[in-house]
Amino acid sequence: MKDEHWSWELSSRQSWFKLDLAELAGYKDLLFSFVRRELKSGYHQTAMGAFWIVLQPLLTTMFYLLVFGNIVKISTDNISPVLFYMSGIIIWSFFSDCLSGAMYSFIKNAHIFNKVYFPRLLVPFSMVITHAIRFGIQFLLFVLLFLYYGDAKGINLSSLLWLPLLIIQIAALGLGIGLIVSTLMVKYRDMDQIMQFTLRLFMFLTPVVYPASLIPQQYEVLYWLNPVTPVIETFRSILFSHAPVEAVYLLIGAANTVMIVAIGLLMFKRREITAMDTI
Amino acid sequence: MAQTVIKAENISKYYQLGVVNAGSLKLELQSRFDQLFRRGAIEIEDSSTHIWALKDINFEVSEGEVVGFVGKNGAGKSTLLKIISRVTMPTTGSVKGKGRIASLLEVGTGFQPELTGRENIFLNGHILGMTTAEIRRCFDEIIAFSGIERFIDTPVKRYSSGMYVRLAFAVAAHLNPEILIIDEALAVGDDEFQKKCVAKIKEIATSHGKTVVIVSHNMAAVKELCNRAIYLEHGRIIGTGSADDIVSMYLRKEKFELLVQEFPDPSHAPGNGQLRIKKVELAPVFSNSHGVLDATTALHFSVEIWLQEQFLEGFVTGIHIFNMEGQCVCDLSSSIQHLSTGPVRVDCVIPANFLKPDCYYISIDFIRGTAEKVFSFDVCLTFYVQDTIVKTPWNTHWNGQVRPSFPVTVKSQVKDQYYVTV
Repeated sequence: MKDEHWSWELSSRQSWFKLDLAELAGYKDLLFSFVRRELKSGYHQTAMGAFWIVLQPLLTTMFYLLVFGNIVKISTDNISPVLFYMSGIIIWSFFSDCLSGAMYSFIKNAHIFNKVYFPRLLVPFSMVITHAIRFGIQFLLFVLLFLYYGDAKGINLSSLLWLPLLIIQIAALGLGIGLIVSTLMVKYRDMDQIMQFTLRLFMFLTPVVYPASLIPQQYEVLYWLNPVTPVIETFRSILFSHAPVEAVYLLIGAANTVMIVAIGLLMFKRREITAMDTI
Repeated sequence: MAQTVIKAENISKYYQLGVVNAGSLKLELQSRFDQLFRRGAIEIEDSSTHIWALKDINFEVSEGEVVGFVGKNGAGKSTLLKIISRVTMPTTGSVKGKGRIASLLEVGTGFQPELTGRENIFLNGHILGMTTAEIRRCFDEIIAFSGIERFIDTPVKRYSSGMYVRLAFAVAAHLNPEILIIDEALAVGDDEFQKKCVAKIKEIATSHGKTVVIVSHNMAAVKELCNRAIYLEHGRIIGTGSADDIVSMYLRKEKFELLVQEFPDPSHAPGNGQLRIKKVELAPVFSNSHGVLDATTALHFSVEIWLQEQFLEGFVTGIHIFNMEGQCVCDLSSSIQHLSTGPVRVDCVIPANFLKPDCYYISIDFIRGTAEKVFSFDVCLTFYVQDTIVKTPWNTHWNGQVRPSFPVTVKSQVKDQYYVTV
């Protein structure tokens, strides 16, 4: 029987890359189950519950306002400091949450991966969706504050259409890096340590608590190569009607993101099953 | 002809042992470097740091078949199950399959302590491959089976371990895939619930048309559930055939000897509402001084039971002795007794010089009246009759099923008139 049709195959010889979207779609219930698990277990047995989603950026904004705004006195490019810090904080934490969510895919789910098959990409995807929901709530908070502190009339409405693209890019970037790190961390837990402090330091190479305009000219190009920078700066330029970010930096950022996601998916798919032998 | 739904070709699995540290980083870089420039085949061999958990495994499973894998611990059964379940990759070879497959290698996979029982039913169900609609459909059944209705909205971290496994197994038991892969060791919990689990596994395995692959240490279960069995040893298949044949081969090869089983607590003993087993025993009556169970040893067989119900219309005990080919060597049966409830003892002596050297196992049937089988205690005792130590001047293989020492006499009849030579 040559025309035998197999619905699945597991072979020592894998094709280099096969992203089975139809299969992923068949598992959408599991995807949302993971999302629910993350959302619910994140705030279990806390007095504030899901309120922490908005409390966290609020408290951080107040803290930055005090330290960077009133003590160190860093410029915010004539942007209302509350909105300036808040915008940086919610975008940065969305990025770093997506990244660290995806990064622990194997480590935190080893007990499940060892027993049951399902497309492993569901785990990092579910992390991104979870954090996208949290980001959505935080963004609503930001909109409320914007209506109070900001200049809603000054916004070019058509430029708002760029916002979803920026959000997708930042999520993809976090996911891509997270996928790469997750496959490396399977064997070398050193990656956990490395990423934890890298993420903390990397925030200071990104315009979260200060504007990119503060960067001395000789470092400018290097600084803008950080793919998170054009996203945050564009976000601010749209909402606060500042000069737009140079298109070339946006393009480089987008190209880098696509590349990182592609490498991440490739590495993840390559290792998704063999990882269990080394974990 | 049923179609093949699982096909495994040349599966081997190679494991590297040892810890990951700076040394392993160096080794890895070195081997990557070698691969890059030499492009040679990767050399792998058995050593203290590497083992072949499976080697050249080929088999097929047809639709609707129940296939059992048997073998000692470490024979590679679990690794093979993991490969079929697609949770680990074979080093060489491939597995192909048709249809939705669900594996039950553990109960409660992915249970989240912070979530409630209800939420975990859905999470666990989804992980096992059920859709939301499917879970909704059997949600009430799951809760009923687990018997924890009252705690369904409590986080499972507050559950006792018993409640936890009950809920977990309940979800697993309601899976409805085309191919089911089960590790029988997952029957868990207290004895009562374990029995419920095994019964449920049987029900799933024997339900019409389902393809099941099962790993088990319980030979009685393999015989009962499986159409076919595969025997693994040191990562290789050493036998494939009917469940009866493979179980016999396994028992003979492993030379199991189980001469007594005792169950002090009636509520946890094998049996049912009508009777419970208290003790089964096979006591050798050695004729030789070495204490070796051989063909010259008589065997005193006894069963003690508790009758939970009256057997006024009659009670019969049947004892079946099987050899390792699965052939019934003899079928003994008691006379009809009229008994009321309480302890009962059954005795039987298998005389010396009756069984020939081989491995045997015993199954017991308890019968109400003359025909109604109340309970069977299958493969309850196994024993091994060694070759008689007494030296015979010739080496011989005994033909036939049994070797009774009915007297065979030879007499010189020189004086007989018919033969008197003229």
